[in-house]
Amino acid sequence: MVEAAVKELLTRDRKFKPEDINMETSLNELGIDSLQAITILYELEERFEIEIPNELMEELESVGDIISTINKILSGKEDTEN
Amino acid sequence: MQERVVITGLGTINAAGHTNPQFWQTLIDGSTAIAPLGSAGEGTRIRIGAVVKDYDPSACFPADTLPLLDRFSQFAVIAAREALADAGLEQNSELTRHAAAIIGTGCGGKQTDEETYTRLYKKGQSRAHPLTIPKGMPSAAACQVSLELGIGGPVFSIASACASGAHAIIQAALMIQSGLVETALAGGSDTPFTYGLLKSWEALRVVSRDACRPFSADRSGMVLGEGAGMLVLESETHARDRGARIYAELAGFGMSSDTAHITRPDVKGIQSAMGNALQNAGVSARSVDYVNAHGTGTAANDKTETEALHKTFGSHAGKLAVSSTKSIHGHALGASSALELIATTLAIHHQVAPPTANFTEADEDCDLDYVPNEARQLPINVAISNAFAFGGLNAVTVLKKPET
Repeated sequence: MVEAAVKELLTRDRKFKPEDINMETSLNELGIDSLQAITILYELEERFEIEIPNELMEELESVGDIISTINKILSGKEDTEN
Repeated sequence: MQERVVITGLGTINAAGHTNPQFWQTLIDGSTAIAPLGSAGEGTRIRIGAVVKDYDPSACFPADTLPLLDRFSQFAVIAAREALADAGLEQNSELTRHAAAIIGTGCGGKQTDEETYTRLYKKGQSRAHPLTIPKGMPSAAACQVSLELGIGGPVFSIASACASGAHAIIQAALMIQSGLVETALAGGSDTPFTYGLLKSWEALRVVSRDACRPFSADRSGMVLGEGAGMLVLESETHARDRGARIYAELAGFGMSSDTAHITRPDVKGIQSAMGNALQNAGVSARSVDYVNAHGTGTAANDKTETEALHKTFGSHAGKLAVSSTKSIHGHALGASSALELIATTLAIHHQVAPPTANFTEADEDCDLDYVPNEARQLPINVAISNAFAFGGLNAVTVLKKPET
C-alpha cells in the first residue's frame, strides 16, 4: 500500500510511470526538487495520517528511503496504538 | 538627457476580454462584463461582480506548474505573455534577461491563503499545504512572470491597493528614464472573488447590489472585478531602433498622498497628483483631450474626482471627455489602473474614447462630459488616467499620441 502510494505520487505529472522506478531510484533522477519533495511528503503525511519529522528529510534520497521511513513510522504508530 | 518612455505591448485577461483586442471591443461596445455572481457570492450580500468567465487554467499551464500558481499569478503570466508577444519580443531572450517586471497587486494570493486558513481554522486540520507561502505571497505573480518569460532584471511587486498597477507602471517608467533598464513589463493583477475578501468588502458597505453607474445621480457603489493588465514599456530609442509599433508615449506621471483619511478621498490630494502629472509631462491642462477616470461609482469618489478635475482643469474641464471604464470591467483593485491604462493607450491608438456604461442621469455634483454609454471618436493627443487608492494614495499617468 505504501509502496504503491509513494510510486504514484513520485511519478504523478512526470514522464515516468510507477513501473519505471525501483527502490534505488533517487528523487534527483526523477527530477524532483526540494519544494516538490516536501509537497510529496505533505501528501503522504495526509494520506497515512503520520508526521515525517524534519530531521529525517535529508535522509530521504531514494524511493526506498521514503517507503521504509513511512513503514517505520506506521509500525511505531501501530505499537503505540496497541 | 532623460529617456522618453513609450508603450509598445499590451496584454490582459479580465471579465471584459481574455485578450487585449477582445477587451477593446467590449470597451467600445460599452457592454458591461458585470454579471450576477451566483454561487460565487453565496453566504455574502454581494450579488454581482466582473468575473473572468470560460477560463480553463489547465489549457493555459502545464500540470506540473499549475499547483504553484494562485489565480492572480495565472492571470499575471497570461497577460504578460500577450504583452510581450504584442510588442514583438521573445520570451527567454537576451532582451528579457535584462528587462524589469514590476507588478502591482492589492490582495496578492488570497485564494491560496484562504484555502489554507479554512483547513486550519475551520476544518481543524493540522497541516498547511507546503506551497502556501510561495503561492500566496504578494510577490508571487512577479516571480512567476519572471520565471516563465525569463525576465532577469529588477523584479518585484508593488502594493498600494487600487493604485498598485499605476504605481508599478510609474516605477518601471522611472527605471527606463534613468537608464537602469531599456525594457520593462509592468502592470497589475488581482483576483478578489474569495469568500473572505467578499465578506470584507461587504463589511465596508461600498459595494453596489445592482450595477456600477459611475457619475450617475443614482450610482449605488463600486462593483468588484478581477484580472490582470500588463504593458511593455521601452525607451523610445530602443523601440525606434528595432522598428517597434508605438501605441503611445508615457509622457509623465504624478503621485501624491492625501495625508487625510484611510478611506475617504480628498480633493486636494487628487488635484495635487493630477497637477504634478501635467507638470511632469510638460503638457498644459488645455492640451488634455481625454480622462480615464478612477470613477468607482461610489458617491464619495465620483463627486470628489469631479471637483478635483474642475480645480485642475478650470474652464477646460467642461471640454474634457471623461469616462470610467470600471462600469465595464469592474473594479479589479490592484489590476484596475493597469486595465485603465491599457484602455487609455488604446483610446489614443484608435482615437476613440470608450464610454461610461450604465450612465442613466446627470448628478449636480458630477457635471462633466462622461461619454455616456456610447464610445466617441475624437482627436486624442493627450490623455490622462487616474488611479486613487485607500490611504489616499494617488497615481496619475499622462499619455501622448506618438510622434510619427
